[in-house]
Amino acid sequence: MPDQSHLPQQPQQPQQPSRIQPVLQLEQLTRVHGSGATEVHALRGVNLSVLPGELVAVMGPSGSGKSTLLTIAGGLDSPTSGRVVVEGTDITRASRKQLATLRRRSIGYVFQDYNLIPALTAAENVSLPRELDGLSARKARVSALAALEEMDLGHLADRFPDEMSGGQQQRVAIARALVGDRRLVLADEPTGALDSETGESVLALLRARCEAGAAGILVTHEPRFAAWADRVVFLRDGSVVDETMRSGAESLLAVGGPDAAGQAGLK
Amino acid sequence: MTGWYHSWLAAIRIARRDAWRSKGRSLLVLSMIALPILGVSAVDVTLRSAELSVADRMDRRLGAADALLTDSGTGGAPIEQNPHLGTPGDDNWHPVGGWDAHHSKPTSEGRADLSKAVPAGTKTLTDTKGHTPLRTQHGLLQTEVRELKATDPLAKGLMVLGEGRFPEKAGEIAATHHFLEAGGLSLGDKVKPRSLDTEFTIVGAYELPDELKLDQINALPGTFLGPLNKSLADQGLSPTGGETNYLVGSGGGEGFTWNMVKEANSKGVAVLSRAVALNPPTDSEVPYYRHNASPDSSNGTAGALAAAATVVGLALLEICLLAGPAFAVGARRSRRQLGLVGANGGDRRHIRAIVLSGGLVIGVAAAVVGTALGIALTLALQPVLEGYLGQRFGAFELRPLELFGIALLAVFTGLMAAIVPAVTASRQPVLASLTGRRGVRKANRVLPAVGLVAVAIGAAVALYGAVASDSFLLVAAGSALAELGVVALTPVLVGLFGRLGGWLPLSPRLALRDAVRNRGRTAPAVAAVLAAVAGTVAVATYTASTDAKQRAEYQEMLPYGVGSATTDEAGGRDVSAMRSAVQANLPLDVLADVQRIVVGDKKCTPYSDDAKCGQYEVYIPKANRCPLHEGGVAGSDPSERFSVEERRALAKDWRCTVEFSGDAPGTAGVTVGDEKILKVLGITDPGVVNAVKQGRAVSFERAHFDKNNTGKVGIKVVTDHKKAEEALAAGREAPGRVTHLPAHLAPEDVKAYGIQLLVPPAAAKEAGFTTVPYGLVFSTSALPSTERSQSLNGAFDKIGLTTAPYIESGYSGSTGIVLLALTVFAGLVTIGAAGIATGLAQADAEPDLKTLTAVGAPPRVRRALSGFQCGTVALMGVVLGSAAGVLPSIGLLLNQRRADEASLQRSVDEGWIGGMSTTEIPIVIPWETLGSLVIAVPVGAALLAALVTRSRGAVARRAEA
Repeated sequence: MPDQSHLPQQPQQPQQPSRIQPVLQLEQLTRVHGSGATEVHALRGVNLSVLPGELVAVMGPSGSGKSTLLTIAGGLDSPTSGRVVVEGTDITRASRKQLATLRRRSIGYVFQDYNLIPALTAAENVSLPRELDGLSARKARVSALAALEEMDLGHLADRFPDEMSGGQQQRVAIARALVGDRRLVLADEPTGALDSETGESVLALLRARCEAGAAGILVTHEPRFAAWADRVVFLRDGSVVDETMRSGAESLLAVGGPDAAGQAGLK
Repeated sequence: MTGWYHSWLAAIRIARRDAWRSKGRSLLVLSMIALPILGVSAVDVTLRSAELSVADRMDRRLGAADALLTDSGTGGAPIEQNPHLGTPGDDNWHPVGGWDAHHSKPTSEGRADLSKAVPAGTKTLTDTKGHTPLRTQHGLLQTEVRELKATDPLAKGLMVLGEGRFPEKAGEIAATHHFLEAGGLSLGDKVKPRSLDTEFTIVGAYELPDELKLDQINALPGTFLGPLNKSLADQGLSPTGGETNYLVGSGGGEGFTWNMVKEANSKGVAVLSRAVALNPPTDSEVPYYRHNASPDSSNGTAGALAAAATVVGLALLEICLLAGPAFAVGARRSRRQLGLVGANGGDRRHIRAIVLSGGLVIGVAAAVVGTALGIALTLALQPVLEGYLGQRFGAFELRPLELFGIALLAVFTGLMAAIVPAVTASRQPVLASLTGRRGVRKANRVLPAVGLVAVAIGAAVALYGAVASDSFLLVAAGSALAELGVVALTPVLVGLFGRLGGWLPLSPRLALRDAVRNRGRTAPAVAAVLAAVAGTVAVATYTASTDAKQRAEYQEMLPYGVGSATTDEAGGRDVSAMRSAVQANLPLDVLADVQRIVVGDKKCTPYSDDAKCGQYEVYIPKANRCPLHEGGVAGSDPSERFSVEERRALAKDWRCTVEFSGDAPGTAGVTVGDEKILKVLGITDPGVVNAVKQGRAVSFERAHFDKNNTGKVGIKVVTDHKKAEEALAAGREAPGRVTHLPAHLAPEDVKAYGIQLLVPPAAAKEAGFTTVPYGLVFSTSALPSTERSQSLNGAFDKIGLTTAPYIESGYSGSTGIVLLALTVFAGLVTIGAAGIATGLAQADAEPDLKTLTAVGAPPRVRRALSGFQCGTVALMGVVLGSAAGVLPSIGLLLNQRRADEASLQRSVDEGWIGGMSTTEIPIVIPWETLGSLVIAVPVGAALLAALVTRSRGAVARRAEA
């Protein structure tokens, strides 16, 4: 049970949301795997917008379509129908190359584990997207060090992944997801392989980054982690079945604890 | 564009660290690429170092002198010489007007007076060489005797003193290190020439930088060869040919110029001049080139270059095929990592760059390691290499550009090997890489189509070459193309194997299905095995067939187990010692003495042109001589009188089909001996045996008898050498006396092993011939062991015989080692390639194995599966390779058969050969080699893979907390 006092301050409500351009916008998203007898509807007409400074948690049981939503949002998979707009660009029409460029410049991923390339140091991992983008190694390193420093991870810069703890690795992964001008973090169970205390610290970092202006989607099935979000979206069988603002999520946690919240989320 | 450059840097960094992280795999690939580079760079450094500059070469041949004057052997007649005298393989001169014209002149022999060719006011030093056997610790050693004042300033550099000093007075000699080693001698020991009763003390050891393996001794001029020749003459033996050369030092000036050389040439003296070698005259100044083309090295090198390029190319292909799967394993293992790069915005180009960088990193490392080790190895082994080459290096010479080129080859190989894995990895969807989802990788469809076309064209070209053209190159090129086509077709062929899977038990079925479903990774490994095995099988088939032909063509020189030994020196003084040695060392059955006829002095050797000696031969009546070899105008080829058709007809004429081969002792076709010789040779024909017993001669050749057969054969004795030479030069018969003796004609089917006319001693005496002991023939009851042969040869050496006994042991092919080496090579490649493919399969099949374990499969299934996976790859490669290898070799054999026939026909048409026949090359499939490749190697590979596989899977890794 997380100590409530550790929770971040109530975020300022997005000011005049109608005028602010969402970083990510999913419109009528459907995704069908296979065809005929093996046809599976992973997503059925999902709509979702994420504004700058907003962290949205996506919850739901296994097979509800959480991960599919995330991969489509990042352009790693393409929807069967619907639109994905990232910072004003419809990525469903982008070429493979444009998608790669988008992932280098606009979208950052954080996975459950093995996020870092074992052959590269923390700083090199963070600078990778920029280097791939053609920036010189020195310049890329400068921006990577800045990103690490900003997250109090400067002391890890020259460590290899196998010289870091899981929590440290995840924090470096978040730093990488937001290096340069990237403003969208897609985190798929980033705390899944961590103990709860370490998990909290990773989420605290993610939360802080969002407050600094990034937009984030956090896929998790643990309500106490979802409580770090501004909004929780519940998915079931590929459809959004419920949506709760932050206060709602907090009340869920307050009433029934994580388990109750989880069950509530399943409804 | 700088961006391109920067993203490659990142890729190289990842690849470099990855290579370091998986050291085992990196080392394997590195050594695969570095080994050939090591070999090639070592050869390059060795060759370049051994290659002497002209100045170095002159120093070694001339010492400090300006020139070396040599008698040209024309008896002082003017010569024209090559200015490049002294270049290996290029020593040449000829008398003005050519050798043929020169030989037809009566005064063609004799010596030129070198002193007349020495320019006035120059210093000279004589350098005389002769040969004689010297008694050493082990017996007698044939040694070069060099009389040269080695301490003279002119001789500086010719001999490099190692220990002691050079001789300073008569009775002292210095010797080469090789001589001392071969003779078991050291400084202070005494040696004695065989025919001189004087001892010489060894006072120094030296080496000849160009001829490290030469057994040579050095003495002061006049102290060795003079007394030796006098002693030889006293014993009635011919002198050791001592050839004197003059080292000339002009002491400054321009040295021995080309004009001075031409001046010396006019006196019949050839000159090796430092000045000319360093500044050769233009071709127009060289009269020699009017008759002989100036040296042109480009001829023939093109072919050798093409062959070398083919071999290197095939070797690189083989390495790429072998190393490729290793990079594929690497890419497969780091799939998640490549997926992460994709998730962070790496597109296909970046993924390709990372995998390619793996090849680049290993290639560069292999280039550095390979060339560095090659140079270091050459440096370390320099003395050994020099000993092997028989000459000292000029200087340890590194050619940076050549070495860089060789190193570049390694980088190129690394990159080539990584290309296919790089493209495959980059096509993998990022999501599939991240989630580890497996799918059946689809094989390329274009490649097999290209392969099929290549096979068709290659086969057609090879077939055309085999049956319709004489060109060996066509068959080779066609086969190579077809083989590359088969390599490209491998994925499809592997697919065909899958149909066999249905009835197999679980593990092999799983292995086969897995191999077939993942053709993308199976095919390169199978192709690597295929290429290696096809090469081996092709060479093995070719070798086995050639060996069969040689076996069929082998002519026994004597019956199996029969031996002979002869000596024609000094009237056969050593024959009794020879007999004792044979009796002491061999298990003998029958031993027969052989004598020979001698004309003139008893110590005359058979073909001596000494005035005291005469020659003889079996007389063949004119009507019985082959017209292709007899008659015609002086100096012309007798066969030129006939048309091609007549030559073909004559080639089958009985007079021209005579062929004597064998090692039964005899000189000039005559063997003197009794019926024991017949017993030894296994001749049992009653007519022959009775005739010899009755003391009558036996002829084994009907041409010996006159047309109106009078029952006698003639032996012609020639005593006047000068008249004989003149007559031969004029195309007439040499004048001589023919003595007839009654003889029996042996039936044609009696094999006489080279004896043409057997004369019993009594018959020879009766006809007025003098005979001396010549040697022995003997039958053994068992073939002597190697030790016995060695001790017999040693005994012969101790007697001072320069000849070794010959014992017929039948045909023994030398191909066994070659075939064995090839089989081992192909086996290693197969096991290596199959092992790599198995590693790849295992990386892929880990989830399957977990599932198998979960449903209750015993642990050994894991071992069994990897064993079968390895065996499957090996078997597919070996079977395909054997098929791909047998066919081209058959094409080559058919082609060679045609070439043999054509060349035989050509020589008959040109009148060269009378009635010789060759055996057709049979086509022999080397079943033993094939068997061990097809059965033993896959089984071995499977067992090995099963053995090194853990029966329990590794625990799945989690993120380190």
